[in-house]
Amino acid sequence: MSSIKEKQLPNVLMEVKGLKKHFEVKKGYFNKQVSYVKAVDGVDITIYEGETLGIVGESGCGKSTTGEMLLGLLKPSEGVVKFKGKDMTEMSKKELRDIRKDIQVIFQDPFASLNPRMTVEELIGEPLEIHTSMTKSEIKNKVIELLEVVGLNSEQLKRYPHEFSGGQRQRIGIARALALNPKIIICDEPVSALDVSIQAQILNLLKKLQREYNLTLVFIAHGLPAVRNISDRIAVMYLGKIIEITERDQLFGEPMHPYTEALLKSIPVDHPKWRTNCEPLKGDLPNPANPPSGCTFHTRCPYAQDICKNKVPNLEEVKINHFTACHFPLKQ
Amino acid sequence: MTEPLLDIKNLRIRFRSDEGTVKPVNGVSFQVNEGETVAVVGESGCGKSLTSLSILGLVPSPGEVFEGEIRLQGKDLTKLKKNQMRKLRGNEISMIFQEPMTSLNPVFTIGNQMTEVIKLHQQLDKKESINKVVEMLDLVGIPEPERVVRQFPHQLSGGMRQRVMIAMALSCNPKLLIADEPTTALDVTIQAQILNLMKKLKDELNTGVILITHDLGVVAEVADRVVVMYGGEVVEEAHVNEIFDNPVHPYTRGLLSSVPKMTGSVEELGAIQGSVPTPSQMPKGCKFHPRCPIATDLCKDEHPNLEETLPNHFKRCFHMEGGSIYEQHKRETTT
Repeated sequence: MSSIKEKQLPNVLMEVKGLKKHFEVKKGYFNKQVSYVKAVDGVDITIYEGETLGIVGESGCGKSTTGEMLLGLLKPSEGVVKFKGKDMTEMSKKELRDIRKDIQVIFQDPFASLNPRMTVEELIGEPLEIHTSMTKSEIKNKVIELLEVVGLNSEQLKRYPHEFSGGQRQRIGIARALALNPKIIICDEPVSALDVSIQAQILNLLKKLQREYNLTLVFIAHGLPAVRNISDRIAVMYLGKIIEITERDQLFGEPMHPYTEALLKSIPVDHPKWRTNCEPLKGDLPNPANPPSGCTFHTRCPYAQDICKNKVPNLEEVKINHFTACHFPLKQ
Repeated sequence: MTEPLLDIKNLRIRFRSDEGTVKPVNGVSFQVNEGETVAVVGESGCGKSLTSLSILGLVPSPGEVFEGEIRLQGKDLTKLKKNQMRKLRGNEISMIFQEPMTSLNPVFTIGNQMTEVIKLHQQLDKKESINKVVEMLDLVGIPEPERVVRQFPHQLSGGMRQRVMIAMALSCNPKLLIADEPTTALDVTIQAQILNLMKKLKDELNTGVILITHDLGVVAEVADRVVVMYGGEVVEEAHVNEIFDNPVHPYTRGLLSSVPKMTGSVEELGAIQGSVPTPSQMPKGCKFHPRCPIATDLCKDEHPNLEETLPNHFKRCFHMEGGSIYEQHKRETTT
């Protein structure tokens, strides 16, 4: 797999700067606004053309909210989302609609994301009908072609979603996302709801499609092994912030943030021989409505010192292409 | 050899309806010894959860156990009356469910729910049972147990709720603990805490554990022995090291190679083609043959038996040299 370093000056496809999303918390009879949940609190990411960027983190870290803002489905409270240099937050509805052809999505739950009253042909043909001027027969041919690309066949055109298994439904979702030849697909937990053998099928399919269509993928997941399998670069999020971002092998080989290290140690071992009795992290994720001061990880961090309680660390390039937000990055 | 703690022999469960009879569990046998963790592994629809429910006598209607024995220390549980079974449940056998929020009652405090189990099965008065609850919560690593006793489930995090479930399940010193996907709903760092807790408790209390899961990482982390199920049958059974080092059944091999790894190179995953058939569409012959890379005509017609091919290593496959045929097939398809 080609890494970013080998390519000459990779083209930037999307750029996110200072992205924030604060949800209001209302209470009482008059819906008095009492506080904010800082779901995403200052995220900067650059997404290069043709790469797969993994975003990992535990539930409540803001990874899905970030994904929704990349898609333009959710308006950021602050910050810019640039697609090919143009700021999506300033676009009119019409412009946004045009740009959505290029930014597609695959959702987690293939049971909830397909309309049960539409046939496969209608489901996959819908984006073509809306965004292109193709005739009915052209659309049908394109749908058949797409079905074959994702490993289904033309006999299944007239079937409804309930007639398919979870893995097949996810394939329909992928065909739908591919229909308009998008530049980038945001995959939000695409394999978490599937059985292991089906997960492997879908991961292999996504990798194949990425090679063939030169797609850019953003792969949002909480399962680190799956993210490792598919990503070129990986961003780790904790309580609404990116705390580490680097290339895959660098992240797994030399994690610099204590949270990344703990996360890697928490993953069950590949083989029973490597069992240990270590418990990498104590305690639970703090409430995002009331995050700790300073470095938000300091309450669970084994290396925390006084400065961590007061000063928020910035995401800095500690090594080439290896960014981390920690006052005391780990040295291997 | 001493008598096993739990001995399941040829267990079969059927569901009868107007459209016919389906048998989602069809001839399952395995044993659990004291202090041993047996992992039952398989994808959804393989019958692993039904098997565990049948041990507690909780197979949902219209399902019924129509053949086989489930012996707990020699006593056949399938022959017990309802009230006898009730005495056993929560006392000698208890269970941890996947989703701790739905298995705790939201309108009672933790103390209230936990003392109920203790008062029912052990002759303790109110004060003693509260003390017992605090002791159990402390054992599973809950900080400030005296405060948690007065709290409601919604005030606790997912990891804490699962700890409460484990404390509740262990409060009557059960001989057998059934854990159905105990960590699937939890985040990885919390999963690591819970798995560690389960390992520690098993050593301290010498409880036999049946761990039902589809996550082979969890199996590698805590199991002693592994039972692999497919289509309502056991297809392979062996010690955990043996399963990971030397899997014989093509399904086990497929499962292992489809799991993304944390070590080694990142390559194409060895996915199993197709998906699990539903119990009503179960194929003839070997149930795995439509998805099996080494299936022959024999597999389509005949149903293989579970055989001990190596000491303490059982498999249900015709191809004795399953390994070598599989490797050969893999070589052929890659070149």
